[in-house]
Amino acid sequence: MRIDKTQRGWAIASLAMMMVFTGVYAVYAANVPDRPRGGSAIGLTFGVIGFGFMLFAALLGARKRVPTWRIGRAQAWMRGHLWLGLLSLPVILFHGGFHFGGTLTSVLMWLLIVTVLSGLFGAALQHYLPRVMTIDVKLETIYDEIGNVRVLLREEADRGVEALCGSLGLGKSAKEEMQRAGGFTAARAMSVSKGGASVAVATETVVLTDEASAPLRTFYLGEMRPFLEQPRRGSRLGNADKAHNAFAGLRTLMPEPAHGLVQDLEDICDEARQLVRQEQLHRWLHGWLLVHIPISMAVIVLGAVHAVVALRY
Amino acid sequence: MSTITQSMDFVEITLDGRAIRVPEGTSVFDAARMNGTPIPTLCHLQNETPVGVCRLCVVDTGGRVLTASCVRPVEAGMKVVTNSDKVLNARKTVLELLMADHPSPCARQEKSGDCELETLAKAAGVAQPRFAKRTLSRGKDDSSLAIAVDHDACILCDRCIRGCDEIKNNFVLGRMGKGYSAGIAFDLNAPMGDSTCISCGECMVSCPTGALTNKTVLGTSIAAGKDTQGFEAEELLQLPVFKGVSGTFLELNRGAIVKRRFRAGEIICREGEFGSTAFYVLEGKARVSLSAPIAHVKTEGGGKGLFKKLTSSLAARDTDVRDGEARDKTIPIDASVDLAYGNPVAELGPGDLFGEMTCMNFYPRSATVIAETDVVAFEMLRNVLDIMMKNKSFRAQIDQNYRRRALENHLRGVPMFADLSPDFIEHLKGSVELRRYAPGQVIAQQGDTARSFYLVRIGFVKVSETYPGGELVLAYLSRGDYFGEIGLLGGGVRTASCTALDHVEVVRIPGDDFREMVERFPSVRQGLEAVAAERQAANQQRMQTVQSVPIDQFLSQGLMEAQSLLILDLQNCTRCDACVNACADAHDGITRLVREGLRFDQFLVATSCRQCRDPLCMVGCPVGSIRRRNSLEVIIEDWCIGCGLCARNCPYGNINLHPFEVMVEDLERPGRKKAVVKQKATSCDLCTHLKEPSCVYACPHDAAHRVDPRTFFSEMLGGGTK
Repeated sequence: MRIDKTQRGWAIASLAMMMVFTGVYAVYAANVPDRPRGGSAIGLTFGVIGFGFMLFAALLGARKRVPTWRIGRAQAWMRGHLWLGLLSLPVILFHGGFHFGGTLTSVLMWLLIVTVLSGLFGAALQHYLPRVMTIDVKLETIYDEIGNVRVLLREEADRGVEALCGSLGLGKSAKEEMQRAGGFTAARAMSVSKGGASVAVATETVVLTDEASAPLRTFYLGEMRPFLEQPRRGSRLGNADKAHNAFAGLRTLMPEPAHGLVQDLEDICDEARQLVRQEQLHRWLHGWLLVHIPISMAVIVLGAVHAVVALRY
Repeated sequence: MSTITQSMDFVEITLDGRAIRVPEGTSVFDAARMNGTPIPTLCHLQNETPVGVCRLCVVDTGGRVLTASCVRPVEAGMKVVTNSDKVLNARKTVLELLMADHPSPCARQEKSGDCELETLAKAAGVAQPRFAKRTLSRGKDDSSLAIAVDHDACILCDRCIRGCDEIKNNFVLGRMGKGYSAGIAFDLNAPMGDSTCISCGECMVSCPTGALTNKTVLGTSIAAGKDTQGFEAEELLQLPVFKGVSGTFLELNRGAIVKRRFRAGEIICREGEFGSTAFYVLEGKARVSLSAPIAHVKTEGGGKGLFKKLTSSLAARDTDVRDGEARDKTIPIDASVDLAYGNPVAELGPGDLFGEMTCMNFYPRSATVIAETDVVAFEMLRNVLDIMMKNKSFRAQIDQNYRRRALENHLRGVPMFADLSPDFIEHLKGSVELRRYAPGQVIAQQGDTARSFYLVRIGFVKVSETYPGGELVLAYLSRGDYFGEIGLLGGGVRTASCTALDHVEVVRIPGDDFREMVERFPSVRQGLEAVAAERQAANQQRMQTVQSVPIDQFLSQGLMEAQSLLILDLQNCTRCDACVNACADAHDGITRLVREGLRFDQFLVATSCRQCRDPLCMVGCPVGSIRRRNSLEVIIEDWCIGCGLCARNCPYGNINLHPFEVMVEDLERPGRKKAVVKQKATSCDLCTHLKEPSCVYACPHDAAHRVDPRTFFSEMLGGGTK
């Protein structure tokens, strides 16, 4: 979610609440003889409000489980999660008078801090990364399909190279789909043809001699195919500039009828590289939740325990 | 007609010494033919414009030179000699010259012995031509699956070209080259198989020699079975329904028609299955029915538990009324009868043809047909059915069956015609005309005078309007739809072009009958006028829109065609798939949305129904169950048989099939029921059961929006699209 002017309403409301809470706390802190305590009426009120904010923020997960329930738009829940979750930290600090207390409350406080910070980190990532992914990964596909698309890319490259160089003994896939990352957007025919007459000229397939096709075979089998099978950013083809240079060099070694295929192979590498980038960005976009969600659940559970223990004993 | 007869002038001429009287303007060729003196010809066919290029039909009219009778009109007092030595010698010389270049025997002569040139040459006693044979071959073209081309056997009579252009309006064939290299050409001299030729066969039927012949394609024979009987051409020709069919054709298509015997209870064909044959019932009775439940997918629930998903079920229109749902009483199927909505069962008997759409257009079977008694039927492939349909006697029988059994239902299926009186229906039965059109053929041309009203009986008709710079598809019409009323009720001029998308058959109601109908039945007039006004208003709105959007990408992605798009703002979207999950939850676990598609600017146009203005999904539905509401939203009617053709036709992959387990009659064991999985086509329903699309409602990042593209992108497109 982007933090932009559409968040203004929630931001102003949160700021107003923060100011009210701060004012109340300041007056309260100035007038208590000792130090502000969570067990006092005002401290307890801060605790209830803060825990309420935390509970609301945590309910976002449950809300997502029932997307068809008309209990407020998910977007409103998300904004509430962001701003009230953020507000819960100062409110809980007011609740404890900026003291972390005993073991349980100290743990609880630190967990809350980590939760809020991880949430802020996640919000920042989700603010920036969608834009980065939109720009960097033009041939984006569904994340779970990346593995399949990679196989299709390799098969497509195999077909093209074998059509030009003759059989290379590569395993044929039963699938003949030309589906590519980006679905039909990226579909392009693989053909090696020559001739330029305008009327009804059939496509002529060219097969190179062993000698003529040697540079391409060496490059494909030694470098490109391993990259397609297991793309690594560290390899030459994992870097856009280096890959461009590699293909430019290959083009100078190949006869003109092969240039169309070399361009296709370069495009395939570019697509494979984009998929690597998508995976990387996707992990950043959603990986922080592996920290945020368990800790926030722990905060809720321990917060409930703390409430019971504090009120009962 | 009577006016024409009264005003017709006759002239007297002398034909081989006999005085005859023929209408003024008649060609000498026709005058002779009408009076029992056939004149040989090669380039002339009665249904084509005479061109007089072969010069075989020359006659002596007393002029300086002999004249080609096919292009020479009679004149009062003209003396015509058709059989003098001078004339016969001239014809013989022409035949000798043609035979000198002809590869005798040509393919046609070799296979069926009816090459017109060789037959005439033999009759004229032309054995060994005195002239030298051609030394350079003009070549053969074997690229078409259906038709073989031997340019050497071509005599440049142009019959094929006129057949292609004048009769079929395909405009594929033309002339190329000069002198010895002159020949016929497909498109810009493309191989026939690569050209825009649709293999309608008109050129082959028109060709007098072996230049264009039907290929006996291996593997096209219908599979034989124990109760199957194949035929030799001679046997078929003895059957009344094949009277007049070319023996050559039947010989070349041996195996493309078989006689089958079905025992009582045996399934002849099943709904939803793909096939390529039509059946013509010779004996016995068959029951045609739909086994798919007559209901649509209804999703409801949601409040039954915290994590409980909504459930989908099948609901008939009587129990769940949807906006814009058809109130049709009949379900159109691919047979000479329609089925009743409440009881979709009918009977077929001798003389009935079914499976025509499947055979001609390769659409899925629209219904299940079971032999009620022992049934004997012809099963035939498309090439045979096509020729049969050109055969007058067979055609007349099919037409008669249709008029007798289905025309009334068909007419009354149009709600506004429900009030027509029985006597007027009877009158229409006699006056309407059934017309067939090949794919791409124009039925009504924008700007032409409106003379008829049409009801679609078979196939799909595209209605489009041309505007400066392009063409806009206004609608696709299928069986039960009609067109032509705007021109007849309005200024008398066609406001749009109507083109056959596939093999189309329409019921043509002449303008006079149409006018009588709207005068006698005011309710019909009111109904038609209301529909015409609605259609015109919608068309004008679309034209205004299309003329104001200049962005190429917007057009090339088909966004212009969309009425409603699900777009994801990629700068907001975190790829969390909440939209997809919400869609699945809202539709019983089956998502109607895939988060993939084309990008336009920063937006991803997700794979979800776009409610296209040019809804290709509707083309081909064998029972016409997918259509548009008045709001132009797509609706799938209750009688969807789940064949999946619409899902395949949708260019954006936006139609899904939703499986349901239902109890149906066990066709193998009559009287018993069994559970089977039946599918129903579904597309985005905008979650009308939940008031707002769930994908949009469930997006936590303000990324998913359902928008009218013209409005949403108007700023980006220059502000002129609202």
